[in-house]
Amino acid sequence: MQHAKYAFYVAVAVCLAPIGAAHAYDGANCKAPGNCWEPKPGFPEKIAGSKYDPKHDPKEIAKQQASIDSMEARNAKRVAHFKKSGKWVFDVDKIPE
Amino acid sequence: MKQVMNSVSLLGVCLASILVASGVRAEDKLDALSKSEDNWVMAGKNYSANHFSTLTQINTENVKTLRPAWSFSTGLLSGHEGAPLIVDGKMYIHTSFPNNTFALSLDDPTRILWQDKPKQPATARAVACCDIVNRGLAYWPGDDKSPPLIVKTLLEGTVSALNANTGELVWKIENSDYKVGSTLTVAPHIYKDKVLIGSSGAELGVRGYMTAYDVRNGEQKWRAYATGPDSDLLIGDAFNKANPHYGQKGLGTATWEGDAWKIGGGTNWGWFAYDPGTNLVYYGTGNPAPWNETMRPGDNKWSMTIFGRDLDTGEAKFGYQKTPHDEWDYAGVNVMMLSEQKDQNGKLRKLLTHPDRNGIVYTLDRTDGTLVSANKIDDTVNEFKRVDLKSGLPIRDPEYGTRMDHLAKDICPSAMGYHNQGFDSYDPNKELFFMGINHICMDWEPFMLPYRAGQFFVGATLSMYPGPKGDRQKYEGLGQVKAYNAITGKFKWEKMERFAVWGGTVATAGNLVFYGTLDGFIKARNSDTGELLWKFKLPSGVIGYPIVYQHKGAEYVAINYGVGGWPGVGLVFDLQDPTAGLGAVGAFKQLANYTQMGGGVMVFSLNGKGPYDDPNLGEYSAN
Repeated sequence: MQHAKYAFYVAVAVCLAPIGAAHAYDGANCKAPGNCWEPKPGFPEKIAGSKYDPKHDPKEIAKQQASIDSMEARNAKRVAHFKKSGKWVFDVDKIPE
Repeated sequence: MKQVMNSVSLLGVCLASILVASGVRAEDKLDALSKSEDNWVMAGKNYSANHFSTLTQINTENVKTLRPAWSFSTGLLSGHEGAPLIVDGKMYIHTSFPNNTFALSLDDPTRILWQDKPKQPATARAVACCDIVNRGLAYWPGDDKSPPLIVKTLLEGTVSALNANTGELVWKIENSDYKVGSTLTVAPHIYKDKVLIGSSGAELGVRGYMTAYDVRNGEQKWRAYATGPDSDLLIGDAFNKANPHYGQKGLGTATWEGDAWKIGGGTNWGWFAYDPGTNLVYYGTGNPAPWNETMRPGDNKWSMTIFGRDLDTGEAKFGYQKTPHDEWDYAGVNVMMLSEQKDQNGKLRKLLTHPDRNGIVYTLDRTDGTLVSANKIDDTVNEFKRVDLKSGLPIRDPEYGTRMDHLAKDICPSAMGYHNQGFDSYDPNKELFFMGINHICMDWEPFMLPYRAGQFFVGATLSMYPGPKGDRQKYEGLGQVKAYNAITGKFKWEKMERFAVWGGTVATAGNLVFYGTLDGFIKARNSDTGELLWKFKLPSGVIGYPIVYQHKGAEYVAINYGVGGWPGVGLVFDLQDPTAGLGAVGAFKQLANYTQMGGGVMVFSLNGKGPYDDPNLGEYSAN
């Protein structure tokens, strides 16, 4: 009886183990609607501080928005001048104040 | 007295609404122009973007007599994507970098009416991921204040509007900054009086954005990003109301770790469609950055998403993410084709159909984003087992995922997708989509790399090769053409091609489907059976789509030639390493045995009938 019980537990463990190990990310287990990512077996939930930490430089990743902001400002000057004068001047340094 | 006032104000309101209504009609001159078969006024041919011509002069009976009527060399090499525009008896031709524009008269293409040759910094070329291509021009018919315009994008990131009659510059703005890796290859799309401009550069970590400008003066009306805070995404309370399980608020940051969304990709460089009934613009966002999935845990929303946005405000009504947490560069920018069809319950629905890079053709209800069907483009797709229509989630096969410290093999589709930038067609009578398909699979191994603005930020090494139905020894059999029903999910016919059918298709009521091939043919198949009825050997391979129009009673088919784009990078830049060109060099190593670079347009008609039937046309005469 004891043996049978033991065998049963072993059988359960053997059956469950591969399921646990094979619980690879298949995209179907969601934390919230639209948020279903899971780390793959052996990979961390957060990469910061791990060997996969991208260590992004905040100065580098701020460059795109800075560039867009200045393009928008230059475009606004060009459009305002065009609306006022009917002439398009691309070079903002040549737009009269 | 009060009553009189009320009547007066009521009359005022009525008059105002009449004026507004007529104003809307006046703005839709473009929509009206697109309904004439004398024109091809926009990418997609019409707002529904169906690439379907009702012309029947050229048909299955006589297509064998199709011959060149005239041709034009653009004077440039590299990939010639997109197609010319036809309007008001003129053909407008665009080119690869430096994005020249030519206007020709259909009556007499002898003399170039006007030409625009932009000066651009040569360094812009260095940040173009996949050849120096451009997908085309947009036309706006003008109003009492503004002349008709040709609007174009330049690789350096500017957008310019030219007087369609003279080629003179009307306005020019900066949309993208090549110095941070952001370029423009997308065609402008004009709906009513808005110019929509996408973005490129996810291979350099560019965070994607879509911008609407006033076509009259270049004034920015709205700008919607693909990642980040909801306010940047233009996501409001109404977003995904009909399908809350797609996800709603906060996910543009919550599905990323830290600030990674700031360099998160999601650029949109493909094609758009528009429905005046819903007032929604439909398009797909591209892949997240970098390609190394391990460096960006999370679903990476809202990259890889089919968006429906209000044309006037940019506010997103729905967004369905096709590929959560991309691991394969399945940039979700492909063509959107609109149709009205009865679903399996017999209900007439307004639909959009979208063949994606990830190997799935999606059909959504375009009023609210509800999934109607999601079928495999080919049964050899293996990275997803299926798409669950109820949850909207693709069920991934972990065997074909990618990750650090692992070389994944035999993934289908490859990063080039089972479908790429080709603009396909839909025959509303037959209810069939004619899709130019790729048949390419891959091995993939990522590597760690830093982000530096203006430098490539890919982080994966790829080998690509023909799919299971192609010839993996000879490296041929990389493409397919198929006729597809979006409701039944059945393919009416399927044909293999030597190379990927990269440029798209056009269908006509003459029971024909036309397309160009990378090995340099324009082909016509019977759209009922797929039987090959006609082909012509062009000077170079094709990565654009054919157009069909009539001029003075004759039907013409025109197509750009000039191989290039991603499949042509090995040939264009003379690369040998099979993993170069982001893995495309190996897959297309046979291409150079069939074609070389070129650049131009060829125009066909029955028996070659055309403007030079009178040989004296365009001759020099002393007086």
